[in-house]
Amino acid sequence: MSFQKRLLSGEFVVLAEMNTPKGVDTSQLIQNARRIKGRVDAVIVPDMDDGVMKMSALGGAVLMHQQGMEALIHVYCRDRNRMALQGDLLAAYALGVQSLIVVSGEDICNGDHRDARAVDDLDELGLLRALGLLEQGTDLGGSDLQGAPSFTVGCVIPQCKDEQSLDCALELAGKKVEAGAKFVLTPPVFDIGRFESFMDKAKSLKIPVISTVYLLKSVGAARYIATNEPEAGISEELIRRIRKASDREMECVRIAAETVASLKLLSQGVRIVTLGWEHRLPDVLDYAGL
Amino acid sequence: MITAERKPIEDLIQSVSPYRRILLVGCNECVTVCSAGGRKEVALLSSALQMHFMKEAKPFEIKEITLERQCDPEYIEELVPIIDQADAVLSMACGCGVQEIARRFKEKPVLPAVNTTFMGASERQGVWAERCAGCGDCVLGVTGGVCPIARCSKQLLNGPCGGSTRGKCEVDPDIDCAWQLIWDRLKALGMTERYEENIPAKDWRTGRGGGPRKIVREDLA
Repeated sequence: MSFQKRLLSGEFVVLAEMNTPKGVDTSQLIQNARRIKGRVDAVIVPDMDDGVMKMSALGGAVLMHQQGMEALIHVYCRDRNRMALQGDLLAAYALGVQSLIVVSGEDICNGDHRDARAVDDLDELGLLRALGLLEQGTDLGGSDLQGAPSFTVGCVIPQCKDEQSLDCALELAGKKVEAGAKFVLTPPVFDIGRFESFMDKAKSLKIPVISTVYLLKSVGAARYIATNEPEAGISEELIRRIRKASDREMECVRIAAETVASLKLLSQGVRIVTLGWEHRLPDVLDYAGL
Repeated sequence: MITAERKPIEDLIQSVSPYRRILLVGCNECVTVCSAGGRKEVALLSSALQMHFMKEAKPFEIKEITLERQCDPEYIEELVPIIDQADAVLSMACGCGVQEIARRFKEKPVLPAVNTTFMGASERQGVWAERCAGCGDCVLGVTGGVCPIARCSKQLLNGPCGGSTRGKCEVDPDIDCAWQLIWDRLKALGMTERYEENIPAKDWRTGRGGGPRKIVREDLA
């Protein structure tokens, strides 16, 4: 069953993030994808929205389709003007992409091409409205399309520092829902208690909420997030658990898997993000019982 | 200078209509030079608004003042004694001035009366043209004193596109081709070898690519 159908039928969806290579050697991407084929409902292929130049998400999605796997791609406004966005969206649909996630791009100054110039012709809401128009058969210039696409579009809620910024983010997410978003992805979950409070508020959006689980990878990674993003909810106890483990990597896998298993009861799906460790996805799925 | 054009009177009527008492603030700098928001334009706009609301039989008060500069906090202070007499401020300065008034008087609505357009120069009486895009890394020394960032429609750095015809730009025949101007200028200077110089891909961090910019002069701060 496709991601779209599972989502609409209210079934729990399992998504795994698969990053494209910085180069043309796709062997690792394909190998990692094959390992989870049939175990996840679809993969998410991020684009260069993290600010790092790599193979485009559309290219990655086509590679996933060639492996018989459904792929969702990120779309964002930093690198393309409204013409390029619309053109790539039409291409994506023609090449088999049925679902998209509208995201905001990392600032150029935090990427690996810091001398580049951002485009930002549209913003996320503008892009969602453009998608709505394309689906109605017209482009932003008012011309009719020869065949209209039909996407299932998702949006994201960023990590929020406090309740006030979460309220603002939810208000913006509400506008995205009005503009056509059909599901929403959460920031990474490290604390189930906090997530329950988050869900109490996110329910108001009245669309499926897909939670996010990060594979932490190391004590250093956990410590970095805990220090720089305390709002993420990584506790000292969690860091201690990784530090004291005889096999720290495997402990990180277990933690991610336990979080995935807990979230099955609290959200309509999960996005597993391994931050470059896609080869550990089968282990996360094993421990999560998926 | 920064150039601007006054917004259409219909837009201004609509923006001030929720308020009864307006403080109309001009600026004696750039917008005076480009005849968009100086003392004279303040008087003209004030009269136009008063006539409109009088015709509508709607209570409307307007007070006029023109500051030396609206982009400088010390001149903004001149508004302190009169700001409470107004429900909103209508500023005829560029966007910098509007924001400075809004920053100083946080509780007071500040409305823009002009559309700030570009950094330019006066070509002749009543005609201003864009000259500088404020990219933060000036190439005029290489391009014979003609800016390809501000004056080439495609911001090309290494010669014209195929659309340059008889010295004019394909975007609009009224626009000079910046690269024709650059070539003519380099030829006149006997510096045509500069044209052969390959300008690398621009580092936009000094422009808007690096986000909103700020200059900090520690010797003055």
